[in-house]
Amino acid sequence: MKFSWFHLMPYRWLPHDFRERYHSVWVDVPNALYDPVRGHGLYNEYLDMLEYADEMGFDAVGVNEHHQNAYGMMPSPNLMAAALARRTTNAMLLVLGNSIALYNPPIRVAEEMAMLDVMSGGRLIAGFPVGTSMDINYCYGQNPATVRDKYREGHDLIMKAWSTPEPFAWNGTYTKLRYVNVWPQPIQKPHPPVWIPGLGSIETWDWCVDHAYNYSYLSFSGYKRAQKMLDGYWERLTQRGAEVNPHSCAFFQQVCVSDTDAACEREWWPHVDYFFNKCLHLYPGTSEAPGYRSEASLRAGVVAQAGNTNQNMGRNKTWKDLVDERYIVAGSPATVRQQLEELARSLRCGHLLLGLHIGSAPIELTNRSTYLAATQVLPHLRPLWGEYEDHWWPRALPAAERVVAGSYNTATRAATERPVSTGAAPNGRDGGDRPEEVRP
Amino acid sequence: MTGSGVENGTPRSRVLQLGVERPAVEVLEAGEGAPLVFLHGAGGVPAWEGVLPLLAGQYHVYAPLLPGFGQSTGLDYLQDQFDLFLHGFDVIEALGIERPYLVGESLGGWIAAEMAALRPRDVGRLALAAPIGLWRDESPVEDLFGHMVHEMVPLLFHDPTGPAAQRMLALTQLYSDKDDRSEEQIETLIALARGFRTAAKFLFPVPEHGLEHRLWRITAPTLVLWGEGDRFVAPCYAEIFGEKVGGACVRMIPDAGHLIGLERPQPYADAVLAWGRGER
Repeated sequence: MKFSWFHLMPYRWLPHDFRERYHSVWVDVPNALYDPVRGHGLYNEYLDMLEYADEMGFDAVGVNEHHQNAYGMMPSPNLMAAALARRTTNAMLLVLGNSIALYNPPIRVAEEMAMLDVMSGGRLIAGFPVGTSMDINYCYGQNPATVRDKYREGHDLIMKAWSTPEPFAWNGTYTKLRYVNVWPQPIQKPHPPVWIPGLGSIETWDWCVDHAYNYSYLSFSGYKRAQKMLDGYWERLTQRGAEVNPHSCAFFQQVCVSDTDAACEREWWPHVDYFFNKCLHLYPGTSEAPGYRSEASLRAGVVAQAGNTNQNMGRNKTWKDLVDERYIVAGSPATVRQQLEELARSLRCGHLLLGLHIGSAPIELTNRSTYLAATQVLPHLRPLWGEYEDHWWPRALPAAERVVAGSYNTATRAATERPVSTGAAPNGRDGGDRPEEVRP
Repeated sequence: MTGSGVENGTPRSRVLQLGVERPAVEVLEAGEGAPLVFLHGAGGVPAWEGVLPLLAGQYHVYAPLLPGFGQSTGLDYLQDQFDLFLHGFDVIEALGIERPYLVGESLGGWIAAEMAALRPRDVGRLALAAPIGLWRDESPVEDLFGHMVHEMVPLLFHDPTGPAAQRMLALTQLYSDKDDRSEEQIETLIALARGFRTAAKFLFPVPEHGLEHRLWRITAPTLVLWGEGDRFVAPCYAEIFGEKVGGACVRMIPDAGHLIGLERPQPYADAVLAWGRGER
């Protein structure tokens, strides 16, 4: 079983009366609330958290894509992944956005993801979400009636651009290109593993089966409420005759680890409260544009109410409610170990994305949680599902062949910083009119 | 059954098959006389109400439903706005009528104006009731897809306490977080979503696609009606239609919001009928 350390990057300073004064945390949340100088510190603090996760041996570090969102400050996940590509060495780079339909032309995604794969020595996991309706329709203006078709066309173009060794023409409905010829190409062949985040529609499951992609269920409501959904996923795989391999599924769970259960509540509650009661303050009027979901999914959703409705988003719940209902897995290392094992076994999921930063949590608290998870929890769970091969993991260059950031400078520093030669210039002319070297 | 629909409020309905793998169009019709084609707004024609029965007193009214509304299908066939406008002429041709009086409300008003600009010789007369299709940054058209029902009501009605406004407000109960809807409510919800998907295909995110640039092409005698209390598409847009469509006549309707037909059907119908008689 593998563990990714997954960040949302929430803004930390939403006012105490945010819910009363503002419409939503997303789409139309006024950017006057954002202080870029504080943001400078926050981005760097958050990237430090991800780099620490790499140091602590997490299998991957994860970023995602949201727009005009105060709990998700990564409109460009690729920029974050690029920073991480240089500052991490072992962890894979789980980039669970790009929302393909937002990029015009979509080969921009093929180019940037190939760059990330090459820069990182083949450590990229390529996430291709359709994107939430808030992101792709309301913030990025994509037409809800056609965006899924555009997504599929963009996907096909990217895949062809990653597998065709010479220029080709693309005459699509949404993109027309005379010369598609993406440089660079990814290290991983035929392409980096593809993960598809979804919210439980049968169409998405079938799409994953058809292409042998990983299905990632990202929910803020925890593993107990996900049971029915993922039962449906495994059932669908069985119906389709696909391999029921736990590694074909990833699940996001928010987790807090402290020294004891009591300390966990004391230390984490303000930050968990900030997340569930401020960060998830969403306005239903812009939650889903008409046509975003197919009629079949809509019908299923109307009947089953399985999605992230306000009602099951964890609002106005106590710490005890959130813990008991497993919106969060929180407590001592022993408690967290037991609950994560229950999660993995009940959902049969081979990839766990751990949300180890929540809401307004500062780095000391978060890194302590990361440390305890890495040293006290994960070692006990890693052997799970070892009998299944993981077809959804990067085939990176061997660690010894991966270049470490700065190593070229280290190797050449002595030569490049040598004193200026006062002898004859290489072209044979007299160099005597050059100024004397300034010595320290 | 001819004409009797006017009195009992029940129009005839039929479905036109436009061709293999092309849209099927449900057409509601009532009345006798010269042909009048009514193009509905984003809410469809849930009942034979508003201006429709009044117009059917003097015209043979045809109300074709857009794909996704009623029994009409074929949204995928309409790939862009020009497919939509040409589809309007396909329907007119399939009905076997020529140069009809074209009356459109809101979304339907936009389509009617675009049709009249695209093929001016094929539209006999035009009446636009609070059409969308134009844009001014200083007076943005409200977002049809970014509000909850209870917020839409005061934007669409001059008097949110009136009966039609209250009927719309009652739809809020369909959007409950609880899993307690009746079968009928679910079907209503799905039907609303299906119609709104059609509206979104052509209007999302900003309902402006260059109509203003084409308005001068309209040659049909054009009546523009606007509710004085329209908070959805501000009355300033009436002036632009009035200026840019040659010979257009602008009439403001008092005590009406955006949905003129539901709030003030009589003055609306009177104006359309008078315009049809050639009165200014």
